[in-house]
This record gives sequence, structure tokens and C-alpha cells, in this order.
Amino acid sequence: MNADLSHIELNAISKQYKKTLTQSLSNVSFQINVGEKIGILGPNGAGKTTLISILCGLIEPTTGSVHYKKKDNQTISGVDLKKIIGFVPQEYAFYHELTPLQNLAYFGALYNLTQQEIKTRSNQLLSFLEISEVANKKINTFSGGMKRKVNLAIGLIHQPKILFLDEPTVGVDVQTKLAIITFLNEINTQGTTIIYSSHHLAEAEDFCNQLVMIDKGNIVANGPTLELIKNHDVKDLQALFIQLTENK
Amino acid sequence: MNKLIASLKKETLLLFSDKIGLSMLFLMPVLLVFIITIIQDSAYKMVNENKVSLLVSNQDSGELGNKLILLMNKSGLFNLEQVNASTPTALKETLLAKNKLTALFIPQQFSLQLTQKAAQISQTMTYELGLREIKPIALTLSETNLTFYHDPILQENYSYSITNVIASFLNGIENELLINTIYTEVGIENSPETIKQQILSNKIGINQIAATNSAKMAQPNSTQHNVPAWTIFAMFFMVVSLGSNIVKERLNGSFLRLKTMPTNYLHILSAKMIIYMLVAFLQFALIFSIGMVVFPFINLPQLVLPSSIVAVIFTIFCCSLAAVSYALMIGALAKTQEQSNGFGAISIIIFAALGGIWVPTFVMPNYLQLISNFSPMHWCLEGFYILFLKDGSWTALFPVFGFLLLFSALCQTTTYIKLKIEKII
Repeated sequence: MNADLSHIELNAISKQYKKTLTQSLSNVSFQINVGEKIGILGPNGAGKTTLISILCGLIEPTTGSVHYKKKDNQTISGVDLKKIIGFVPQEYAFYHELTPLQNLAYFGALYNLTQQEIKTRSNQLLSFLEISEVANKKINTFSGGMKRKVNLAIGLIHQPKILFLDEPTVGVDVQTKLAIITFLNEINTQGTTIIYSSHHLAEAEDFCNQLVMIDKGNIVANGPTLELIKNHDVKDLQALFIQLTENK
Repeated sequence: MNKLIASLKKETLLLFSDKIGLSMLFLMPVLLVFIITIIQDSAYKMVNENKVSLLVSNQDSGELGNKLILLMNKSGLFNLEQVNASTPTALKETLLAKNKLTALFIPQQFSLQLTQKAAQISQTMTYELGLREIKPIALTLSETNLTFYHDPILQENYSYSITNVIASFLNGIENELLINTIYTEVGIENSPETIKQQILSNKIGINQIAATNSAKMAQPNSTQHNVPAWTIFAMFFMVVSLGSNIVKERLNGSFLRLKTMPTNYLHILSAKMIIYMLVAFLQFALIFSIGMVVFPFINLPQLVLPSSIVAVIFTIFCCSLAAVSYALMIGALAKTQEQSNGFGAISIIIFAALGGIWVPTFVMPNYLQLISNFSPMHWCLEGFYILFLKDGSWTALFPVFGFLLLFSALCQTTTYIKLKIEKII
């Protein structure tokens, strides 16, 4: 059933939080196809986290809808959807008092993985992310970069078809950033769709083949990365973003 | 099932990684129960078993002062030290200088006063009975009281008990003197010893029996109160460990991450409840074992379990459910770990104070007794009082279970509503 996923449709999504006067997202519509590496880009407070949260079902939009469509145009939802998505939040959302292996065992069990599956998958992930040597150490002694890697590994323990990443490289050194990006490219080639939010435009330019640029809750650009740069006759994403937002 | 087992394992690992939390759950109550029981037991022994140290200055020129001292010595209740202080003020100074707690001054006219009083009563009696022809002259006797000094730190009821004992000896002396004087008045030199003994000894006693549902009953003592009381206190103190555990998961995004997973939030909360209720049972097992096995070795009263172990287990279940539910609610309501720890700990101390953990509720003013009904610890303690001191029946325990289950339900509902508002569940 998972292999049948075709695309994700966002139809006129708006979100206004209670006790706020402005909309965090305003009439956002686009489509994400399976296998893409799509970057949701924008400055701090643009609405990236809100959009990611709506996409993975953490919050409901005020208006509009999100549909996970199969090739036969049927919709995937509920538990079936939760089984195929992985979520890596911006926060270190795990148990710092436990080891990486203990965390992976716990979150893996919540996906109903067997002990053997958890063991095999944990070893693979920790090895890919180069943190095998600290697999049995408590995370509260780890550096920020190592914690980011553990955060990422937990989101991938069940081999999701779609991976949501909210600012996955924030606050880490260049080497760790490179290791994470390399790893994400690797899993994308294995078929995982990656939906990635960041305010690092240069990093996104290297990594993403599709972009959605948002500013103050509105989409300012949407399309293949290289095509956007070429069509707007700019040297990079940063220049594109300045061009698109300077008149607002 | 796999998910529940994984959650149970995770909670166990988290609990064991929290060394401070564990020490608060197990070490703190053990220390408290030892310290408070030893202190209370010493106080109990001081009042009930130790002799009262009393300085006595006998300035009586007659024999009755010595007689009073003899009676006090023979009673075995006092440890008398005689001093020669000529005035009450001098005795007070001696008391302060010797750093003693109590002192008694017997004035010079003590025997004379008692004799005159006895003579006057006996003359009046014999005249009224027609055994005397001449009406006695009513003398105005000067009041010469005994003076009792006590250290201000001594509790009022303790001082009152001592003066009552002395007054009882005085009554005995007065009665004997009166009988002798009446006999002399009617011309019999020596009053029969048997009559004196009958009058002085055949007092109506008061049998003191605690009201209980069963013949098998533990005597109320410091152990029977402190062991359950401090176990309950420690159990509710899990709010610090469990409450901050929940706040941490809420704030670090773990709960949100769980929301994207194919799992029911009930698994996570159930696992927390099961683990912490097991902790509560372990707290009971540990502290009760200490009360039963260790206390007798250090001369403290042994904890005596009631006959119905099933009722004990169900009472522990209700108490632990109330404690865990309260901790969950604090964890759900608090915005930060500091809030959870601070408010949680202070609220437990207030619940304990109101619930009679430190001071029994019956000594509280009426309005506080009314308020204490809202403390879950009051009902927990009430349950153990019914079990331990009254060997209570299920019927007597029903109101206790009713309140604790209602309290748990309210806390759980509040937790559910708060987490629902935060869209965590």
C-alpha cells in the first residue's frame, strides 16, 4: 500500500492561531510528488514550522485541506498515514536520560517493529550517522551535533516513505551538517520523499530539487530549484529571495 | 501490548536514571519515618514513662510537708531533689540556675493551715450532727498555697498533669487528717485503720478502652501513626519526579513526536501510571517492613498490621492512584519544570499539614477540620487509621475509597482536558 503513494496535495491552506491578528499561513497550495526533496524555505517566523506541522497532522489548518493521494487517487489517512511518515522536529524530541539504542528501541516499538527489526535498523542508522561508538551512552552527555543525529535516526527507525524535517541542521557544525545532508541524499536515492524546512538558503540550494519559498505566510516562489534561479535571472537562492520579498 | 511493554520499559529506565527523584521517593520517607517516630516516641516516653524531675523546697514547720514529699516519692512518678530555698522567689532562681523544668514550694504554714482547716470542718460536722454542744467559732483561715514553678517551654497540659497529681496527694492528706480530727472530736483517740484505708483506697476507677470494631487492635502509638503517615507523604511527593517527567516530555517535543506515530496516547499515560503505582507499593512495602522488622531493634514500637490484608492492599491502591493522578495533573498543568517542582512540592506540604500527617486533625480549629476534608492525604491517613487503629471493616472504609477514587477521577479528567487543549492527545 505504501508503494502506491503518488503525491501530497495542499489545497488553499490557511492557519490563524488563537489570540493572533495575522494569519501564519495564507491560502497556501502546492503539490509534493513522491521521491522529491522539497525545501520549505523562508526567514524565521515565515510559517515553515506551521506548514510542516499541518502536513504531518500535528495541527489542523483553519481552512483548506491536505490529501495524501495514492496512484489510484484514493486518500491515505489516520494510522495508515502515520505508519509511512517520519517526523524530525526542530527540538531534541527524545529522552536525554536514555541511550540512543534505548530511544530507538522505544520509538521503534511504537511502530510495532519486532526486536530484531529494531536492532538491525538501529545499527544501520547509527552506523550511517557515525554515532555507533556512543550507542550505549546517555544522550545528556552528547554534543548538539550528535543529538541532531539521534533526532534524525529516531525519525527514520521505521523506514518512512515521507520524512519531514524541521530545521534539521540548526545549531550544528559544518562537518555534522555535511554528514546529515549526505545521509539525507542517500535515503532519498533509496526512495524516501524528503520535506525539509530551513532558513539556510545556501544549504537548501545544494540539497533540494524542489522549493517552496514562503514569507509572512504566503508562497513567494514554488518550483524546481534550478528553474527558479534561472527564470528569475539571479545567481542564487538568497538573491532570489531578496528579489521576491523586497517590494513587500 | 508490544507498545505498552516498551513504554513500561522506557518509564522504568527514566525512573532509574533519576537518582535524586529515587532518593526522594525512597530515602526521604525512610529518614523521615525514623526521625519523626524516634522524636515522638521520646516525647511520649517522657510524658508517660519517665519520672518527672522536680525541685522541692519544704519550708513547712509541721509534718505534713514531709508527708506530701513521702507520698510523691512512693508514687514513683517523681524524681525529687530537695533544696533549701526560703521563699518561692528563691526557689524560682534555683530552678533557673539549675536549668530544671519544675519546682514545688511548700510554705512554712502548710501543716498548720491543713490542721486548722480539718479542725474547723470536723467541729462544724460534730456540731451539726449533735455530737457537740457548743457551736464552733468560724475562723477565717489565711490562704497559704503551694507554689509550682515550671519552665515556660513545658507544654501547658503537661504542667497541668503534674499539678493534678500533687493535688490528688494533697486531697489524700486532707482526707486522712479530717478523719483523724473527727474521731478525736468524738473522743476516740485513734481512728480505725480499716476505715481510713476504705476511704482512701476504694476510689472509683475509670477504665480506659479504645473504641474498635475488633478485639485485635494495635495500640495507638508513634509507629502506628508515623509509618503510614510518612509513607503517604512520600507517595504524594512523587509529584516532583512524575510531574517534571511529564513537563519535560511536553516541552521537548516528545509528546508531539508521539502524535505523529501510530500509537495511542493511552499507552504512554498507562505506562506512567503503572510504573509509579508500583513505586508507591514498593514505598509501602519498604517502610512498612522497616516498621515491622527494624523498629523493635531500636526500641520503637513495632508496626502491627491489621487482620484484613486485602483491605490494606485496596487502601494502598486507592492512595497510590490518587497520588499518581495528582502528579499527572500537575505535570499537565505546569508550564515549566520549575513550576511543576515548586508548586507540586508546596501543594504536597499543604495537603500534608491539612491532612493530619504532622498534627492530628482533631486538634485543629473547626474550619481547618472542614478544609482538611479536601486533602487527599487526610483520606489516605483516615483509611490507615481505620485499618490500623480500629481494625476497620470494609463498610467503614467505603467513604475513604469513595473520596480517593473521586479525587483521582477529577485529576485524570483535568489532565485529559489540558492535554486535549494543547492538542497533545
